[in-house]
Amino acid sequence: MKNFLFCWVLLATIPFYSQEKPEGQKINFFGGFESNSQWYLNDKTLNIAHPNVPLRSNNYLFLNLKYKNWTAGIQGESYEDQALLNYNPKFNKTDVATYFVQYKNEKIDVTAGYFYEQFGSGLLFRSWEDRSLGINNALRGGRIIFAPTTYFTLKSVYGQQRSGFDVANSDIYGVDAELELSDLLKFETTELSIGGSYVGREEKITTIANPNFNSLTNAFAGRINFTHAAFYFSAEYDYKSKDAIIEVRNQIENDFIKPGNALLLNLGYSKKGFGVDGTFRRLENMSFFSERTAKGNAYNDRIMNFVPSLTKQHHYNLANIYVYQAQPNVFLGDETVLKTGEIGGQLDVFYNIKKGTSLGGKYGTKVAFNFSNWNALGGDFYLPKKEYKTDYIGFGKKYFSDYNVEITKKWNEKWQSIFSYINQYYNKKLIEETEGLVKTNILAAEATYKFSTAKSVRFLGEHMWADSDKKNWAASTVEYNHNSKVSVFVSDMYNYGNDDTKMRNHYYNIGTAYRKNSTRIALNYGRQRGGLVCVGGVCRFVPESSGISLSLNTTF
Amino acid sequence: MNKLQILLLFIGFSVYAQKQLPNLSLPNLEGKSVSLKNDFSEKDKLYVFSFWATWCTPCINELDELNDVQSEWKKTLNLEVIAIATDDSRTQKRVKPLINGKGWEYKVLLDTNQDFKRALSIVNIPYTIVVKNNVIVHVQNGYVPGSENELLAKLKTL
Repeated sequence: MKNFLFCWVLLATIPFYSQEKPEGQKINFFGGFESNSQWYLNDKTLNIAHPNVPLRSNNYLFLNLKYKNWTAGIQGESYEDQALLNYNPKFNKTDVATYFVQYKNEKIDVTAGYFYEQFGSGLLFRSWEDRSLGINNALRGGRIIFAPTTYFTLKSVYGQQRSGFDVANSDIYGVDAELELSDLLKFETTELSIGGSYVGREEKITTIANPNFNSLTNAFAGRINFTHAAFYFSAEYDYKSKDAIIEVRNQIENDFIKPGNALLLNLGYSKKGFGVDGTFRRLENMSFFSERTAKGNAYNDRIMNFVPSLTKQHHYNLANIYVYQAQPNVFLGDETVLKTGEIGGQLDVFYNIKKGTSLGGKYGTKVAFNFSNWNALGGDFYLPKKEYKTDYIGFGKKYFSDYNVEITKKWNEKWQSIFSYINQYYNKKLIEETEGLVKTNILAAEATYKFSTAKSVRFLGEHMWADSDKKNWAASTVEYNHNSKVSVFVSDMYNYGNDDTKMRNHYYNIGTAYRKNSTRIALNYGRQRGGLVCVGGVCRFVPESSGISLSLNTTF
Repeated sequence: MNKLQILLLFIGFSVYAQKQLPNLSLPNLEGKSVSLKNDFSEKDKLYVFSFWATWCTPCINELDELNDVQSEWKKTLNLEVIAIATDDSRTQKRVKPLINGKGWEYKVLLDTNQDFKRALSIVNIPYTIVVKNNVIVHVQNGYVPGSENELLAKLKTL
C-alpha cells in the first residue's frame, strides 16, 4: 500500500515539471498513469460472496525520456493488495514491469530492454500490451530494425518473454524482412510489397526422458500486399515445425507430434461511398506459446502469436454474450468433438446512400453489412490412437456464424439513430468443449438527441431471442452528456427468459465519467455479468461480481 | 522496491520539457511509411490527430462530424485532420472500406501494434491531440456530440 501511495504522490508532482517551456528545450518528457480499482461487494440475489480481499487495484505508471535520437522508458505496475479478479496471479504487488533504451535515426533503430513487435499479421509473432485483458507479453532482450533504403526493412529480435513480473523460461529469436517492390521498380499507381519472417522458440523440456520433438521449434511465414487504384489484395502463409500437441493443460503428448500452418487471404474493393472487403482464414494447429505447457492457461500468459477471431466486434451488450473465439488448437475429445483448427471467412460491405436521394435524405444514410462463418477443419481422424489427416479445403462441423446489418441515419441537426439486426449461431459444445448449441436473433436501436452545442442524451434498447442456454434477454442504456466533460449513464441487462426463474437476474450499472484535457475519471456501481470480456478478438474470462469501481487515467 | 522508487524519482523530478510527437513512422493506407516528425511539420499549421478504431462508435461519430465541418473550418484555419486507426490485425482490413464507405476525406495512418497510442499513454479512444510546430498544444479525451464546437473554439486560440 505504501508503494501505491508513493505512485500517487509522484504523479501529483509531475504536472509541475511537464508544463510547456519555451522552445529550445532539448529533453522531452512524457508518460501516463492508469489506475483501475474495484471494491467487490456481497450480492445475495446473484448468490456471490466477495473475495477474501475485497478492495483490489491495478495501476500502471509509464514514463519516458527523449533526447535527440534517444528514448528511454520505464513502466511500474502495482497490484495492491491484489490484482482485479481473474487477472493472472503472477501480477502481484508492486515492481518495475518493463524498461527500455532506444536509439533511432533514419536508417537504424536499436532497442535494448523490453519491446513490442509484430511480424506481418501477427499469426506467428506479436508482442503487445492490453491492460484490460491483462496481456503484456513484451520481449526482454534486444531488437534492431535496419532500413538502409526506403524500400527495404530488416528487423531482428531476440529475447525472453515477459510473464508476470518475470520472464518465461525459453529463448525467442526472430527475423522479419519487408521489400517494397513498387518503390524499387518505381511503379506509379500500384503498391506491391513482399515480406518474410522466421521465429524460433528454444525451450528445453526436462520432464520427458526421450522427447520425440526438438527443443527448438521453427516457424516461417511469407506475405504479399498489393494495391492498385480501388482494389487491394493481401496474403500470408505461416508454417510451424513439428511439435508436441498439448490437448489437456500441462500434459505434453510425446506421441502426438504435428506441424501447424495458417493461410490468411484478404481481398477488397473500395471507392467513395462504397467498400467491400472479404477475408478467408484457415488455421491448423497454430497455438504458439513461449512455454509449451502454457497452452490453455486462462490469462493469455506467455502467448506468442495473435490469433484473433475474425468476426465483427459488436458494441451492443447482448451481442457480446455469445462471442466467437478463434480455434487454432488441436483437441480430439471424442467423435463428436474433433478440432484441429478452423476454416472460414468474413465479408464486410459499407455503403453510403447519397444525400438528396429518397433513402438518403438530407444527410445521407450509412449501411454496413457483415457476415462471418467459421467451421472446424474437415479430414480423417483416428481415435483412440491420436492421429489426423486434414483436407486443405474441407469443412467439419460449424462453430459459429454471425450475419448482421447496421443502418446509421442522421435525421436532422438534433436526431441521429442507429438500427441493427444480428443473427448468431454459436456451437457452445464445440467452441467451449462443454454442451449446447445456441441460435440467437438480436435487435438493437439507438437514438441520440442533441439539446445544445454539447448537451445530449442517448437511448439504447436491445433484445435477444435465444433458443437455448439462458434464453431471452432485454437490455437498455440511457446516457446523458451534460457537456464535453461530464457524462452519466444507467444501464440494465435482464435475463427475463431464463428457464430457471431464480436465474432471471438483472445486471444493472450506474456510472459517471469526468473528462478534462488528457484526464478521465470514471466511477461505477453495479453488477458484472460473468463471461468473456473480449478486446480485439482476444478474450478473458471474468466471474460474476458486484461492486464499485473507480478508474482514472491521465497522460502528461 | 528501492530501485523502482529511485528511478521514478529521478525521472519524475529531474526533467521538464515540452510535449513533442514521438519519433515514429506509421504506414498509410497504401503501405507507404509516414514520419510523424517530418511529415507534419509545416510552420504554424494545426494538425489534429484523432485516434479511433473501426469498432469504436463514438470515434466514428466524431470523425463523421469532423468530416462534415472541416471544409468550413479550413476557410479560416490552416489545419489538417489525420485519423490514426488503432485497429489491430483483427479489424485493420476493415479500415479502408469503412473510410471509403463513409466518404471521409482524411489522411489515415495505421497504428496496427499501437506504438503511437502506447507512446502517448492513451488508454481510451476517441482521443484527439492538436499539434503545432511539432509540439502537442491541446488534448481532447473522449467525444460527446457537440465536442467539435469546443474543439473549434480552442483551435481558434492556438
